[in-house]
Amino acid sequence: MSRWPVAPSVGWTRRRHLWALGAGMAGAVLGHARGAHAFGDSGAFHPRLLRAGDGGDLGQVRAALGRWSYELTARTSAPARLSVDVVDPSSSELLAEPLVVWQGEAEPKDLSKSAVRRLREYLGLGGTLIVDGRGSAPGRFTAGVKRQLGRVVPEAAPVALPKAHVLFKSFYLLDGPTGLGSASGEVLGYALGKNVQVLILECDLLGALMPGAGGQGFAHPITPGGSAQRELAARFAVNLGMYVLCSDYKDDQVHAPFLMRRRQRTP
Amino acid sequence: MTHLSLSEDLPPWAQFCIVAAVLVSIVLLLLEQRGGRGTWLLLLTSAAAASLLGLAVLRPAWVSVSGRQEPAPVVVLIDGSHRLALPADERGVSRQQVASKASEALREAWPSARLTSYVFGDGELSNIDAPRQPSVESDLMRAIEQVLARPGEAPRALVVLSDGRLHSPASGDARAIATELGPRLRGVPVHTVGLADRQPKDRSIRAVRMTGTAIAHQPFTLHIELGCSEGVDCSAEKVRVRELMEGGPAQELAAGVARSGDSGAQLDLEVTLDRTGGRVIEVMLDSSLPGDEVPQNDARLLTVDVRRDRTRILHVAGRPTYDVRALRAFLKSDASIDLVSFFILRTEEDDTRATQDDLSLIPFPVDELFTRHLPSFDAVVLQDIDARTYGLLQHFAALRQYVISGGGLILVGGPAAFSAGGYANTPIEDVLPVELPAVGELVTTTSVTPAYTRVGRAAPILRGLRGRLGDALPAMPGFNRMGLAKESALVLWEHPDQGPADASIDAKMPLLALIEVGDGRSIALALDGTHALGFGKFGVETAGDGHRVLWEGLLGWLMRDPRFESAQVRLRAPCIVGFPAALLVSRLPGNDDPVEVEISALGADGPARRISGPAGSEGALLAFQLPDLPAGGYAARVRVGGAPPSRYVFACEVGGEAHADSRPDRPRLEAVATALGGRFVQANRVADLPAPEKTFVLEQRSMKPIGPPYMWSLPAAALLAVSWVLRRARGLA
Repeated sequence: MSRWPVAPSVGWTRRRHLWALGAGMAGAVLGHARGAHAFGDSGAFHPRLLRAGDGGDLGQVRAALGRWSYELTARTSAPARLSVDVVDPSSSELLAEPLVVWQGEAEPKDLSKSAVRRLREYLGLGGTLIVDGRGSAPGRFTAGVKRQLGRVVPEAAPVALPKAHVLFKSFYLLDGPTGLGSASGEVLGYALGKNVQVLILECDLLGALMPGAGGQGFAHPITPGGSAQRELAARFAVNLGMYVLCSDYKDDQVHAPFLMRRRQRTP
Repeated sequence: MTHLSLSEDLPPWAQFCIVAAVLVSIVLLLLEQRGGRGTWLLLLTSAAAASLLGLAVLRPAWVSVSGRQEPAPVVVLIDGSHRLALPADERGVSRQQVASKASEALREAWPSARLTSYVFGDGELSNIDAPRQPSVESDLMRAIEQVLARPGEAPRALVVLSDGRLHSPASGDARAIATELGPRLRGVPVHTVGLADRQPKDRSIRAVRMTGTAIAHQPFTLHIELGCSEGVDCSAEKVRVRELMEGGPAQELAAGVARSGDSGAQLDLEVTLDRTGGRVIEVMLDSSLPGDEVPQNDARLLTVDVRRDRTRILHVAGRPTYDVRALRAFLKSDASIDLVSFFILRTEEDDTRATQDDLSLIPFPVDELFTRHLPSFDAVVLQDIDARTYGLLQHFAALRQYVISGGGLILVGGPAAFSAGGYANTPIEDVLPVELPAVGELVTTTSVTPAYTRVGRAAPILRGLRGRLGDALPAMPGFNRMGLAKESALVLWEHPDQGPADASIDAKMPLLALIEVGDGRSIALALDGTHALGFGKFGVETAGDGHRVLWEGLLGWLMRDPRFESAQVRLRAPCIVGFPAALLVSRLPGNDDPVEVEISALGADGPARRISGPAGSEGALLAFQLPDLPAGGYAARVRVGGAPPSRYVFACEVGGEAHADSRPDRPRLEAVATALGGRFVQANRVADLPAPEKTFVLEQRSMKPIGPPYMWSLPAAALLAVSWVLRRARGLA
């Protein structure tokens, strides 16, 4: 909610790029800088990267996660930590905070028994797991993750989230997920309690946020959507962040008439 | 005195059978004789033999008894309701005084009777000399049953002294009363003595009835009946209802004009109470009647137990964080909570890069929330929100009054909370358990692990958390700096090393403190890291339950959930001015900590009165004798050891329900007397009652058999032999 009027949409400025780049780099550099949080920081949004033997350039991915945090702090009131931790799924570190991101391109390796047990414990505590399938064929990765999740939460099954789901209105009003990929597909969710705790994306969201080599531009061009699609990807990332922090807040009845009117105005 | 007894050892039915058998034998012999088959000699010998045989079995004896005449035992039942303080027929004389005189007069009028007097009311019969307890009801049925159940000599008569406004027997129908009580009395007459016949000049709140249960925030109807004595008009009388508040003036709830009915006037008023727990409401006539002889029943003070359908909570957060996420998850997980949330999702500095239509954000309706809707909430949670930036400052006066009027408030820490958010030196500070520093360092970024205080260890609020984690708590990355805890506040967590801000005394800085203010309660939590109790090491140790049990305790205490109170309190009997009253306190099982009780009057700012005691114990209950209290509403605060106090609200009335209807009921007394074989008289004619006859008391009884046993059996055997010979001679069987 806000008490002020909002400026009309503008494109990505040079200054914004620099800020975002700086933030992303800071996140990558700070790496495991844990335990040095200021007052008000321990509850800040903090995406952590799950190291599940998926390989890939984790430095770039961490930079993308740092940019995610930056976008959240720049656009919303939510505090975020720009540092990005990498956690092992079988370690107790996993249970320290309620958000972890599992990303990859290739089919993931089987989780160890201890990792399965720990992930189950993590979800039992109410943690959120965001899975981002990357590359040109994200389905290979997400299909493998779903198999692994079948071992972690065999009682649950993934369900496609409808357009009316709170994820698409937690800050911006969106029609669906957007990332680097041309076909963003849908978001699958595992509801373990009242809320969806596992979100599976096949839109390569981190790919859209990933900074380029040397901090110039972005690592991957977006075609055919260009900067408009990248903006939508950033907005989707912000919505994901808000969903992690506020869960179903925007489903509260008090918001319903406002959101209904705005949805009707949007073509 | 000597008399003949047919048999001394056989029961009456056996005696009857024997006599009947002898008579039947004689009749059969007569029939035989009239049929020409027998002779007169045969008839005589056979009849004599049968008679002697019967007497041999019965063994008649002479019985001598001696004794004396004693006064008859009579039980006098005196109505013990405090209704008898109402005026009798003669001005300036109470019905109680009339009862005393009538009792004396009866004793003089019946010198031949042994009078035993008891006082009856709504409980057990009590001795007339026992200390008087307030009694609303006059349960004559129960009193008579108790008299009849007492061991010893049964009374020869009962005399009831009352004004007739009995609660039982409820019916004035003599037949119904006779059916109910007659068989048990077995002919013992019940006389009734009327203590008053005149209706005092009076206009009263005769009855107040509620339809259904009082639920917070939901209107309920009070059905109010007015009563007027003969010649007094009840119609068009205005009635007001107001709620007595602690630390503030009474709050008007409703008013209306009564309309005439069959007996007096009545009206229905719709009332809404927003705060749960015991609430004292006053129902009063708006004007007084000149010459009213019973002015105390012009108003009634009623304690209403307001229940909660759902706990309605307003949760306002200055920014979304994991702490907000955890608190919202807890609040949403409880189906009994009706949660209204407002989170600030964007600040002035944020660049959303979108139009308003692209956003799901709505304006923060701060003015609407804190004016129109505030009373509808049971509790308000302000979490890390800057009061200056978001327009809360101008509503702090209303929020202060909201707490004083019974609302709950929790302030949760963060970089924009407490002093850092502009809360210092504002009206809201009045209702917080801590003082807030206005200048200097307002937040501290060094890590702190809160420490339990002695109170924190004793408080049921934190019992759930300590049961899972003991004294261990997670380290928090900083805290809001707090000043001294207020005098009546209780600190549950404190800084292990640092003292309060702006204070030089030897104390630790409070980090979690709570206080009762007026009718409400507030909590200050100077930390923003309690979500760590649900995750990480502490989450694992508590299976994710640590955060929930902490907040369940905090919110439960705020909402006066009995589970989080250290004591349960109730009045032993209704508090009636002029009668001794006591509070009964029960502690949690296994807790033997000392108990302190303080009483403060609702609506007054005067100091609380400490009650010494306990005066005694009744099982597991501690009894605290209350001092003489004038009519009004009161709040008792009961503290067990160092735990936060429990609050109990009650009302004291002059007369109360017993004085609501001042009319005597002579027809009821007449019906009782008629139904139970007695007589009714007014108190000044008590000598007209028929005195019971004296009772014969047996002192000695002796028995002497008529002759030895063979005196009957030998002649019987001889006559039977003669009869047998004669029958054989006649050819009879």
